[in-house]
Amino acid sequence: MNVGNWRVDLEPRLTSPKWLYAAVPIGSLFCAFIVGGVFLAFTGHSPIGTFALLIDRGFASTRGITNTLGTATPLICTGLAAAFAFRMNLFNIGEEGQMYLGMIGSAWAGIALAGYLPGFAAVPVVLLTGACTGALWVLVPAVLRAKMGTSEIVSTLLLNYVALNLVNYFIFGSRGFFRDPTTSFPQGRVIEASARLSSFGSTRTYPTVIIAVGLAVGLYWFMKRSNYGYETSVLADSPNTARYAGMNATKLTLSVLLFSGALAGLAGAMYVVGPAGKVDPGLLQVGFGYAGIVVAALARYNFMAVVLTAILFAGLREGGASLQISTNPVPISIAVVLQGAVLLFALGGEVFRRNRLRVRRVQQTVGA
Amino acid sequence: MNANVWVLTFADAFSIATTLILATIGAILTERSGVINLGVEGILLMGAVTAFLVGDATGNVWLALLLPVAVGAAMALIHATLSITLRANQIVAGLALVIFGNGLSQFIGKPVEGKTRPVVITPIDLGPLTDLPIVGPIIFGHDPITYLTWVGAVVCSLYLNRTRPGLILRATGDAPATVDAQGVSVARVRFVHTIIGGALMGLAGGWFMLARGTAWSQAATTNGIGWIALALVVFASWRPLRAIAGAVLFGFTLQVPFTLQGQQINILPPEIVQMLPYLATLFVLVMLSTPRARKLLGAPKMLGQPFVRDER
Repeated sequence: MNVGNWRVDLEPRLTSPKWLYAAVPIGSLFCAFIVGGVFLAFTGHSPIGTFALLIDRGFASTRGITNTLGTATPLICTGLAAAFAFRMNLFNIGEEGQMYLGMIGSAWAGIALAGYLPGFAAVPVVLLTGACTGALWVLVPAVLRAKMGTSEIVSTLLLNYVALNLVNYFIFGSRGFFRDPTTSFPQGRVIEASARLSSFGSTRTYPTVIIAVGLAVGLYWFMKRSNYGYETSVLADSPNTARYAGMNATKLTLSVLLFSGALAGLAGAMYVVGPAGKVDPGLLQVGFGYAGIVVAALARYNFMAVVLTAILFAGLREGGASLQISTNPVPISIAVVLQGAVLLFALGGEVFRRNRLRVRRVQQTVGA
Repeated sequence: MNANVWVLTFADAFSIATTLILATIGAILTERSGVINLGVEGILLMGAVTAFLVGDATGNVWLALLLPVAVGAAMALIHATLSITLRANQIVAGLALVIFGNGLSQFIGKPVEGKTRPVVITPIDLGPLTDLPIVGPIIFGHDPITYLTWVGAVVCSLYLNRTRPGLILRATGDAPATVDAQGVSVARVRFVHTIIGGALMGLAGGWFMLARGTAWSQAATTNGIGWIALALVVFASWRPLRAIAGAVLFGFTLQVPFTLQGQQINILPPEIVQMLPYLATLFVLVMLSTPRARKLLGAPKMLGQPFVRDER
């Protein structure tokens, strides 16, 4: 690209300096706040005041932090789900629907099975059932992708809308199994007490946060050390190499997508054993599934970094929620605007991590 | 006879199809150049909220249609910069656009949430033609934009298949290196068509609000129409004229839940019926993925691949 007498080139870096790995996300966050600030200023809100309040409510107090950790718990799971699939170039963007199905499946287990199980087994069984139903929801797109090469992008997404209507049907449309039979108010039937976890003290953080973080650490380690982790990364980098080396691409693709679905389902299940205790349409309002994709992309599909970004995003959401209860309420959607903007900037910024910007003076040949 | 509910449903299907055709053609132009823009849903939402806000502020229906075009082009410019100049992952960039558009349309639409739509695009009266039995309401009962869209699809098809720029466009999607060797800038072709595509998607969103919407409510506006349009691109095998047929078909599945509800036909609960358009789309995608169907499709060969001259 030429600008006047200067020539601007992007040259690939062989190695990126360590500080750039942190600088890109932090810089993106900063730029996103500026964009958000512009929109806030245009709508008659004070950008500095709003962001100060947002950070204060999301991170600065004990209550803020524990609320944030509670919100981060399912977000870590959907973030891991997206990261696990995206790093293999499998773009499962149906985490939202898989999470709903996880909620439905775990609530079913919590109502129907938990009563027959010994106390210590109830919660694990409920969580696992949620993970399985989440995986089941991605089965059709996964088989299509693995066997016939059909793009998983649109198919996984379309199922989000189906899942959304399914939850609405169970709670609002029918008086069936998942609906609380004791009241005419449309709400979910509460699961057995043995299948529920209580939060730490008076906070809104549940023990499931330990499972979520443990999963991140475990996945990080497993995908680095195991044969499976190696094979999937070869397949992602070069399908042909994987084929020549005799790896089973169909099986690997299928397993990656199913496990991604299971992680997203687990997010829904954690919501059930934790704060909700039932099929709760409230989950449909939060958008953890879509946010998980942003979290994963911002973390550059690194499982450990997913935990950090998920906590950061949960803080933005918690802070955003508290902005609505002020004299000049700021719509909570500012949090979504920030998420989208962060991701856009991070994608652009990634180029400057991978490439060096080189500006050279071009010799003008006079009189030629 | 023209008040028959199924005639009206078909008329509505043709009407809804306008949004689908515009968005699909926008996506076809983008994808033919080799860029994949998944941000359709976000652009539709931004187009819709822009149309509403401009209509609310000015009361002018044409301004309310024009501004969404500019907004759509601007959003596509973001996508083009990220995916062409900065060579970012196009899939993730498109998703980011959806999330950004989703949040921003909610944010700037908050003050008018629940307000009824300020201006309306009215159907043009074609006199006796509109009164014809059955075809009257279905074919001759629409507004100017719908007719322009049909003409637009034909023009777009001619452009792709019968003009030199159209040939270059197709070549850019299939063999950018060849285009580059001819001395044509691949980046420019991709930029131009991504932005035109975005403008059409913006118009699709704006028109949908003014012609089909009632009140502004972000959650209930597009409801995944953008994703259906992306599936339609595959269904239409990247050809504009086939997009019309597909759009009417999908328009029908989008309209049927409302008809059934309005007629109190309760074969299935409404929540289940509302799954229909998405399940139908998925079903079509499954059908299209058989090896035999794939041969007939012909996706642009370098779809989603950034072009770097040195790397050849």
